[in-house]
Amino acid sequence: MLEIRNLHARIADGREILKGIDLAVAAGEVHAIMGPNGSGKSTLAGVLSGRPGYEVTEGSVTYLGRDLLALGPDERARAGVFLAFQYPVEIPGVNNMYFLRAALNSVRRARGEADLDAGQFLKAVRAKLKLLEIGEDLLQRGVNVGFSGGEKKRNEIFQMAMLEPRLAILDETDSGLDIDALRMVARGINALRGPERSIVMITHYQRLLEHVVPDRVHVLSGGRIVKSGGKELALELELTGYGAYGDAA
Amino acid sequence: MSAFADLEPYVEAFKARPEAAEPAWLARRREGAIRRFSELGWPSRKQEAWRFTDLRPLQRVSFPPAAGACRASAADVSPWRYPAAGHRLVLVDGAFAPELSVIGDLPKGAWLASAAETLRRRPDLLEPALRETDTIGAQPFVALNAALFADGFVLALEPGVALDRTIEIIHLGRAAERSSQLRNLIQLGAGSRATLIETYAGEGAYWTNAVGVVAVGAGAALRHAKVQDEGAAAIHLAHNRVELGRDARYESFVLSLGARLSRHDVHARFDGEGAACGLFGATLLRGEREGTIASVVDHAAPGCVTREYFKTVASDRAHGVFLGTIGVRPQAQRTDANQLSKNLLLGRRAAIDTKPELEILADDVKCSHGATVGDLDDAALFYLESRGIPVVEARRMLIEAFAAEVIERIEDDVELRAHLGRHLARWLAGGAG
Ligand SMILES: Nc1ncnc2c1ncn2[C@@H]1O[C@H](COP(=O)(O)OP(=O)(O)OP(=O)(O)O)[C@@H](O)[C@H]1O
Ligand SMILES: [Mg+2]
Repeated sequence: MLEIRNLHARIADGREILKGIDLAVAAGEVHAIMGPNGSGKSTLAGVLSGRPGYEVTEGSVTYLGRDLLALGPDERARAGVFLAFQYPVEIPGVNNMYFLRAALNSVRRARGEADLDAGQFLKAVRAKLKLLEIGEDLLQRGVNVGFSGGEKKRNEIFQMAMLEPRLAILDETDSGLDIDALRMVARGINALRGPERSIVMITHYQRLLEHVVPDRVHVLSGGRIVKSGGKELALELELTGYGAYGDAA
Repeated sequence: MSAFADLEPYVEAFKARPEAAEPAWLARRREGAIRRFSELGWPSRKQEAWRFTDLRPLQRVSFPPAAGACRASAADVSPWRYPAAGHRLVLVDGAFAPELSVIGDLPKGAWLASAAETLRRRPDLLEPALRETDTIGAQPFVALNAALFADGFVLALEPGVALDRTIEIIHLGRAAERSSQLRNLIQLGAGSRATLIETYAGEGAYWTNAVGVVAVGAGAALRHAKVQDEGAAAIHLAHNRVELGRDARYESFVLSLGARLSRHDVHARFDGEGAACGLFGATLLRGEREGTIASVVDHAAPGCVTREYFKTVASDRAHGVFLGTIGVRPQAQRTDANQLSKNLLLGRRAAIDTKPELEILADDVKCSHGATVGDLDDAALFYLESRGIPVVEARRMLIEAFAAEVIERIEDDVELRAHLGRHLARWLAGGAG
């Protein structure tokens, strides 16, 4: 599904943040990426989703056999890549429903599916809202406008559930969630799991991994993956911290 | 034809006007007005109010008044119709088109007719619209309009008359290298109420020069919307003068989408205590278009409220201008005024000039103003794109959201909001911002 080879990326001021990432995620797998603050996790998610502001200086990313880095962010999304933002953006004046419908129809067209009419769309929305226990009234507002931190995170997973991506990259979707919300978000993620889909979860906590059990766990530190293991690695990290992987830079 | 400042064709057109059976007072005022126009000449860019406006498209060609040779059909009108309107007056090239107009039932004490008809049947009603032809500062276009106008519309409500259904005025420009000189009057007696929407559209290189004289009496309320979507080669100049009586309410929403060169001037004056004036507008410019909003609000009475919110979007090589002055006279204590100009500059070759100004001569006032010029929010754009929305559509959504914020200010009139929203969406569908 996803193969990252020797990926180097730098930010506008020239500082290199990713210093040779190697990572392969097979179809059907769930991978967790953990690592200290500032180690480059969101940068990796940004580079994968095509966020402007990064320059890839070396390496490659192959997604379903295609050069992912050659695609624009919207093309990546239509090809089935989804990023759940660490900090979802508020967009006043753009109605949530309207936005979601535009997104869904764009993605559906790319998959060769017909647009949903208003009735079908509403039906799909209601089913997924229920899964995440989001009130319909939230959808009448501007995108993420006036949402609480937890509501924003749930809205990301709600969008993911609507768009049904092949590859979902979740950047700290569990941060700032209460116990119930965490459970709902986990339910949303698990509902997406399947042999044809892959999930990369960036997280600081073992907590989420109890609900969404990963196949592999990686430690990203200083812009490199310094250790990989099974789900027990997350537990170990919870106990020992990142001290041992500290300054891989 | 000289390169500019050639006033002669207009003076000639004035002399060559067909003999009309007009009241003597009007003939006198027209004489005075054409003299005033000749004295003033075209506005110069040395004048502060015209500094940013490039009038060359108007000066390169002369635009004698349209002779009413062009006609329009119902099909020409229908795209511009406001579905919720209860009364519709259509004018084509500056002249009333009765076959395209529908005036519904009007309550007693309400007058709604073309200016020409009003002049024939109720000249007394039109007289106030021409009282100040040449005294509102140096306004050559207002003077020229007074000299040459043949038609327009008149809405006059006696005290206490409330019109429940919205009035719609549609003006279509058709005749190339001709001008439509429109003189409009809205006079609301004490405690009366109305909503009116003016729509300007057309095809070709014509010039619309509209002057509106609005008086909102004590405790009366007027909601005044305007859609300016003139043809891409047209010129649109409009000058509205608004006087508010005690406790009067005036609210205007101006959506400017068309014309090669457009300018909307509004001069509002508070004459009585406790009145409120809301001026809102969005101007969207692409290509090489040039659009100006110029507002002057004169707080001449105490305890009045002004809310101004104007937005401009300029892309390609377009040029947008906002000039806003709020003046508070010494007697206008307890004035509460704020003015905001927000602008979206899309592209390196587009330009926006914004000049908000407060002139405060009273001490017990609450006044503020602000102006911003920015680009689309990159984070928002990326968020939309990251959901699969193509970049062109994502930009369109953000531009729409930016401009629609002004439309959202229309309270308690879902239909009017939706109508302006549709015009905005149609404009956006016509090309990227
Ligand atoms: N657009 C940017 N401009 C400036 N600095 C940036 C930018 N993006 C990332 N950085 C810097 O790169 C480094 C890595 O940031 P990144 O957000 O990838 O860390 P992270 O691992 O996601 O951290 P956290 O756990 O706190 O979310 C940080 O030092 C950050 O300040
Ligand atoms: Mg991060």
